[in-house]
Amino acid sequence: MNGSNFWLVRIGSILLAVAGAFVINAAAGGNDFTQRLVLLAALYVTLAVSLNLINGITGQFSMGHAAFYMVGAYTAAIATLFNPGVASAHPLPWLLAMMVAGSIAAGLAGLLVGVPSLRLRGDYLAIVTLGFGEIVRIVAQNVKFGDKGGSYGFSVDTKVTAVWLAWLLAFTAIALCRNLLSTARGLTFLAVREDETASLAMGVNVTQTKVTAFVIGSALAGAAGAMLAHFEGFVSSAMFTMDVSFIIVTMVVLGGTGSITGAVVAALLLFLLPEKMRDLPSMPIGGVGAFFIVLALVVAGLRYVSQTFHGAVKERALRYVGVVVIGLVTAAILGFVLNQLPAVKAAPLVEGAKLRMVVFAVTLIVLMLLRPQGIFGHHEFSWDWLRSRLKPKSAEVTPV
Amino acid sequence: MSLLKLEQATIRFGGLVAVNSVSFEINPGQLFGLIGPNGAGKTTCFNLITGVYKPTSGSILFEGKNIAGTPPNKIASKGICRTFQNIRLFKSMTVLENVVTAGFLRHKTGLLSSLLYTPAAIQETKDLEAEALRLLKAVNLDHMAHARSADLSYGMQRRLEIARAMATQPKLLLLDEPAAGMNPQEKQDLNGMVRNIRDNFGLTVLLIEHDMRFVMSLCEEIVVLDHGEEIARGNPDEIRNNPKVIAAYLGEPA
Repeated sequence: MNGSNFWLVRIGSILLAVAGAFVINAAAGGNDFTQRLVLLAALYVTLAVSLNLINGITGQFSMGHAAFYMVGAYTAAIATLFNPGVASAHPLPWLLAMMVAGSIAAGLAGLLVGVPSLRLRGDYLAIVTLGFGEIVRIVAQNVKFGDKGGSYGFSVDTKVTAVWLAWLLAFTAIALCRNLLSTARGLTFLAVREDETASLAMGVNVTQTKVTAFVIGSALAGAAGAMLAHFEGFVSSAMFTMDVSFIIVTMVVLGGTGSITGAVVAALLLFLLPEKMRDLPSMPIGGVGAFFIVLALVVAGLRYVSQTFHGAVKERALRYVGVVVIGLVTAAILGFVLNQLPAVKAAPLVEGAKLRMVVFAVTLIVLMLLRPQGIFGHHEFSWDWLRSRLKPKSAEVTPV
Repeated sequence: MSLLKLEQATIRFGGLVAVNSVSFEINPGQLFGLIGPNGAGKTTCFNLITGVYKPTSGSILFEGKNIAGTPPNKIASKGICRTFQNIRLFKSMTVLENVVTAGFLRHKTGLLSSLLYTPAAIQETKDLEAEALRLLKAVNLDHMAHARSADLSYGMQRRLEIARAMATQPKLLLLDEPAAGMNPQEKQDLNGMVRNIRDNFGLTVLLIEHDMRFVMSLCEEIVVLDHGEEIARGNPDEIRNNPKVIAAYLGEPA
């Protein structure tokens, strides 16, 4: 590669990432609620991408990612507790320092857990990491710093809301993973996932590779944790329960194990979907029932189409659209009919807020039924990939 | 000096003696065959040499140094690489990526420069890719470089395993049943290919094989194992006429 050209591209992409972060910052506006959504979305993207390095790329099933997130948050919170003066005098540099400190602490925790447990495979590793997550949380729940800490948690007095910095962290996580996979060294991480015995025979230090992935992934989660502590202005062990680990694992699996793009898309989807659905209106029970009945039929229909028809993309797309349109029409008719039944008519409206988690769960089931390999499978988004997906093989034209 | 020398190598699994005090030596540049009926201990022998198992007793000398019990990845870096009886490719990776990965031994840039995608890391990746393509050409797979390795035919997968092993630049190449599942034409091609590799890359080859015609036509020296013990050694003609070998393969006359 041409030397000067390389640096031009490199500096350009860094500037683009910074500009992007500030555009998102501006788009989030001054509204507290929107800012919160956009910032937390960035943290979830960071968490999903960093766990994807461990679970997806290196194939080590870790279920305790929230623990490393927590180590980062608590590191920042405790350091701020003992240095209130420095923290309040320079909030932004302090936050940056805390992100570094949080990532180092979480990285060390990752090393501590990783070295003994990464000799285990599959389910065993999952159980150990799950156990570690609980241990860290329960220890935090019971340790007090003077009159602070314990199960009530404690406040972090220096509150900083830096949406741009959160997104810069997310972009950094994405860039690190992409860089790794674009070089020969990154391939050894994939090789460990594919076949440990063969990797060893090819001279790959399997344990070292796994521990490396684990430490990098944990460190990124730690930085996200420090950010969270300073954004919320409060930390407590209740913020890092097993549910958090599970949702991050779900993001990785749903996106397509090993796909960085998939992790990003799934993180945004799974975080924003339940948040956005807080505003769902109340609905008559007949409509809700009809919707779910028809949804099941539509999913079955889509699966039937995808398994039966292997023709040109256009024809298949037409069939998919057909199934969905028929589904919508049926849902409307069925809903109308159901609502005429006296029993249904008498029933109270279903509150939208209560439907929120139902819709969330159903979305997961539907996505896993339609794309068991995850939204992106093993693929990464690139323009070439998109083009090859959209263009039927027979119509391949060589450019003149 | 011999390249590889087994001295009384023995391994026990509980009460079972899988390899019982086996000794043989391989000279540089040889095409050496290891044969025997099923369960004779051939693959266990491979596992001893490549560090998957540590011998219960005895030693394994590679270039004069005892390597018994060294971890497999260290053994690979000393210059011994193998293929597997039940193909073990990195399935979801492309053919090229499989071979590039095995070039890992010669990585010079560190993790940090890979994470930062520095020019050095990019250059190294390009060099490894170019080298991988050369190896793929040697096993006649360069046209499939960007296919997913799991999508290759069986014979192609076997050849890819050889190319991948060669990417570690071994001095000694161990082939575990390289011709298994190949048709006669593919076997003949493989025969020529292994010879070419030995001649052009200056390798020494130790191979396990069941197909007698293949072994006899390819190997210069053969050791026969049965029930973990060496029962015969010599050139193909000697082996062919050895009564013990005939008995082991065909059973003793009643």
